Order: sequence, then structure tokens, then C-alpha cells
Amino acid sequence: MTSTTADPVRPKATRSLDLKSRRAARRRDAAQLWGKTALLGVILLWCLFPFFWLIMTSLKQGDRALNSPNLFQGPFGFQNYLAVFQQNFHLNLRNSFVVAGTTTILCVVIGTLCAYAIARLPMKGKVLLLSGVLAVSLFPPVALVPPLYELWRSLGLLNTWEGLYIPYTAFTLPLTVFILTAFFSSIPRDLEEAAKIDGATPFQAFFKIVLPLASPGVFAAAIIIFVQAWNEFLLASTFAPRHPEIAQTVPVAIAYFTGAVEYQRPIGTITAACVVVTIPMIIMALIFQKRIVSGLIAGSVKG
Amino acid sequence: MVRATVTPDSGDASQAPVSQNDQPTDRGSPPPRLRQGLSERALGRLFVSPSILLMALVALFPVIWAFVLSLQLYNRRQPQGFGGFQNYLEALTMPRFWDSIQFTFLFTVTSVTAEFVIGMGFALLMNQSFRGRGVTRAAILVPWVIPTVVAAQMWFFMFNITPGFINNLLGLENFNWLGQRGWATFAVVFADVWKTAPFVALLLLAGLQTIPGDVYESARVDGAGPFARFWHITLPLLRPAILVALLFRTVEALRVYDLPQVMTRGAFDTESLSMLVQQYVVRTPDPGFGAALSTLTFVLILGIGLIFVRLLGRDLVIGTEGSRR
Repeated sequence: MTSTTADPVRPKATRSLDLKSRRAARRRDAAQLWGKTALLGVILLWCLFPFFWLIMTSLKQGDRALNSPNLFQGPFGFQNYLAVFQQNFHLNLRNSFVVAGTTTILCVVIGTLCAYAIARLPMKGKVLLLSGVLAVSLFPPVALVPPLYELWRSLGLLNTWEGLYIPYTAFTLPLTVFILTAFFSSIPRDLEEAAKIDGATPFQAFFKIVLPLASPGVFAAAIIIFVQAWNEFLLASTFAPRHPEIAQTVPVAIAYFTGAVEYQRPIGTITAACVVVTIPMIIMALIFQKRIVSGLIAGSVKG
Repeated sequence: MVRATVTPDSGDASQAPVSQNDQPTDRGSPPPRLRQGLSERALGRLFVSPSILLMALVALFPVIWAFVLSLQLYNRRQPQGFGGFQNYLEALTMPRFWDSIQFTFLFTVTSVTAEFVIGMGFALLMNQSFRGRGVTRAAILVPWVIPTVVAAQMWFFMFNITPGFINNLLGLENFNWLGQRGWATFAVVFADVWKTAPFVALLLLAGLQTIPGDVYESARVDGAGPFARFWHITLPLLRPAILVALLFRTVEALRVYDLPQVMTRGAFDTESLSMLVQQYVVRTPDPGFGAALSTLTFVLILGIGLIFVRLLGRDLVIGTEGSRR
């Protein structure tokens, strides 16, 4: 704030003296600014261009346009999007929404309690618990695939929402605990102490004082959990590989869309489905950018 | 996090007399409206138990059960009795297993290295103050938020002969990126670097912003050039952030599944360990052999992760805390 406003006022004599050198410096600054802006363009291109390609391709109609490397080879239209929803993609969206949403709620509730206990409450074996949480965060999910598949088969949980959000919750819990422990630790302790002196029970101190203060952190954690659960593919494709009307999620549908000819991927349908899924995610990322970044850094973190 | 554990309020007198004897057992009941309520210790145990229960039931128990399964012999899901370590012997003598290990390690080393080089470049650039920084910071989240499967399909079609976007861009005729050994791996690594380098940049940027500007200023006064400043100030001070990001990225990369599965379906030596295990669960079901493979994968990846944690020691946990503002 302060740096932008102040233009130092100097005596006129010195000003004219170093006018030449200042002009040179300004020219150098301008060159540097251009260089930086160009490099910035590289980052923007890196992050956004593939997405632009995706949108352009999804809007193309007919084989000739779709098979052309030229981005602007028409004709354009929304045919691919109609094809996507004829393949029950709205049901995939529903499944993903339910699974990711339930995972988020479960994770936030369970993780908040655990993180608060770790950050604030006296407990034996905290280091052990944290080590356990860290170990689970290092688990390769594929280690669960054979045993859980057999277990889910005997419990009838294959091709169900529960079969997905239960393991998702277990796997995202460590991340949630990391993020929220960091947020709880950053809240000043005096508030709870004051509440306790005023006669609040430990639970009331948590629920009425600390939790509202931690809500930005909880929200950040919730977004990150949702994104991760929404994007998960390995367990989803193993436990619910088919049937959009039951539990097949969006990533599985996108990975295994089939066209008219077998072994040929329908580029139009797939890119259109990709755009449908990605646009809400990108809008969410842009709106909640600051929260997401702070959450990711607090959990510091898997991607 | 360690900071949190090191400073428990052991000096708090109010919890001490109530904690152990009075009412630690009423776990299931809602918090009573008494003035004292649940003691802090009881509350702590109550709060932690759902997490422990869930992780034990859904993460720890299956891993143990996988080991039990791996000792059984099966023929198309029909149990054939106890087989000892026969499944492991079979896995370890299977060339396909070693091929997948080779791909997984090659993928991990190349993609993590490239991500850190590019991510560091992005972070250093974004740490400078100039216009357009806010836009860049928003854009950098886009590859992170896109589902990996979407990124995989996108890069599949860009590399593919039809429509041949990348071939057209580079002036190549019909170069088959995804249809030959080596270049198929390159394409998969490239897609991963595209998706994750911005994320690494984000973590490194957070670390960069904790370095006070006057350190650089005094170094400049002492005549240190840009490279010397980077090598002697930025890198050492960034160490915790780098190590934490490196740990999580490495473990993530070792689990790779989505990208090769969608881009190449494992053809041309791009089958990862995770893909191999998944193969023996659904497509060629052999629970015993699949469990043996998954146990080997588990030991390998968790082992590498734990070696990392050991090497980092407290750096890891403190680093997480420290990088937060």
C-alpha cells in the first residue's frame, strides 16, 4: 500500500543532475517489464491454451472439422454436447456430485473434530497419531484395490455410491487433518480461555468460539476435498466401472466413452464432456482462488 | 503441526482433576449441559475416535487383509488353498512386473525433475511484482483443478495422429507419438508435467514469499549477482518448502494410474505398477496374485515415502507450518 503512493519529493537541483541516469534506468525498467510480461504470457499460455484447444475442438462438427489440426476449421455447433447428454452424462454428473459431496461432508465433520483435538486438546500419543495420519497419506490407493474389491463384492458395495465415498473419505482424511490442524493452530488461544473462564464447557468453547473462527479454513479444506473426490479415477473405475444410472462417475465415463467404431475414441463427444466438467471447476477455482491456495499450502499437499 | 503438539495446555488446572475419573466413559451421549461438560481429555478422545476408526477400518485393515489374501492360491476366484509365498515368487519372476517398476520409476524421476525445474521458474517469475500477477495466480490453478482424466484425454488427442495438432505445430507429418516405445512415455510425462508444474510453482511461491526482501538487498549491496543470490539465498531458505513438495510429489508420481491408463492403456512400455495391480483384480481376476502385487507395491511406495520422511525428519512437519505465512 505504502510503496505505490509515495513519489519522493526532491530538491530541484538533484533532480536535474541525475536526469540522464534516471532516463537510462527508466528505459532499462521498461525493457525488463516487457521481458517479464512476455514470460508471464508463457505461463498463461501454458495453463490456458490446452483448455482453449479443448473448447474449440468440442465445438467442431463433422469428421472433416474434427480430424483437422486447424483449430478454426469449421463448421461449428453444439452437436457434440447433445451427443454427450444422449449418453446419460447427466447421470454421471449426478453420481459424481453425490459421491464427492458426501465425501466432503464426512471428511469435514470427522476431520474437523480430529484436527481440533490434535491442535488444542490434551491427549496422549499425539505424535503417534500424527505419524499414523502421515503414513496413511503416503499409502498408495492401489494397495486397497484387491482387498476392498473382494470385501465390497461380498458386502454388495460394488457399483454403489457408498462403495466409493467410504474409501474416498478415508483417503482424504489425512489431508483434511493437516489443513485444519494448521488453521486451528493459527487461532489465538485466549478466546477459548476467556470462554472457559466465563463458564463454557470445552465442547462449547470449541463449537461456539473456535469453529466459527475456523470456518474459512474449513471451507478451504472442503473445496480441496471436493476437487480431489470429483477427480478420482482408480477406485471409481475399479469399483463402479459401468452403468451411469447406478454409480459410474464422471472421470470413468470420460475415460471410456466409446464411439460408433470400436477402438476409435469419439473426439467430439469426449472433448465436449471434458468442457462440461471443467468449466464449473474452473469457475469455482477462480472464485475461491485465495482460499484454495491457502488451504493447499496449509496442507502442503498432494495434487 | 509440531508446534501444536509441543504446546499442549498442560498448565491448565481446570482439566486435571476432572479428566480421568469423573466422566470419561460417556462417549456416545451428547455433550451434557452441565457447567463442566465433558472434560478436555474425554472430548479429545471422542473427537479423535471417528478418524482413527475410519482409517483403521478402511485403510489399515484392508492392507493387512491383502497380505492374508496374498498367501492364498486362486484359480479364477476359486480358492485353491494356502500357497505360502508362491504368489510373491511368481510376481517377482514375472518380467511384466519389472517392466512396470521400470516405467514407474522412469516416470517418477523425469516428471518430478521437470516439474521442479519448470515450477521453480514459474515461482521465481511470479514472485516479482508487476502487473498481471493476479491473473497468473488464478490461471495457475486451472491445470490443478482439471480432472487428470480430462488432461489425459486432452493430451491424447493433441499428440494423436488425428487430428494431429502437435504434429502440425512442430511441422511433423505423421509422427506417431503414442504408438512407439520411448515417445509414448515422453507424452505421458509431458502431460503430467503440464498438469503439476503449476501446482509445484504454487507451493514454491508460498515458500519464496516467506523470504524477507532485505536479505536480497544486502546480498546485492555485497555484490552478489542474480545467480549467486539464487544459489546462496533462495535455495537454502526454500529448503523446507522444496523438501515437503518433493516428498508429496514423489509419492504421488509413484502411484501414477490415470494418465497412462487413459493415454496409452499401458501399451508400449507405459504400464505403471498401479495399472498392473488393477489388471489382476478386474480383468484377469486372481485375488491372491493381485493382493501379492498390491502388497509389493504398498511396501515399495510406503517404504520410499518413509525413507523421505526419515531424511527430512522434523523439517517436514515444521516446514509445513513454517511455509504458512
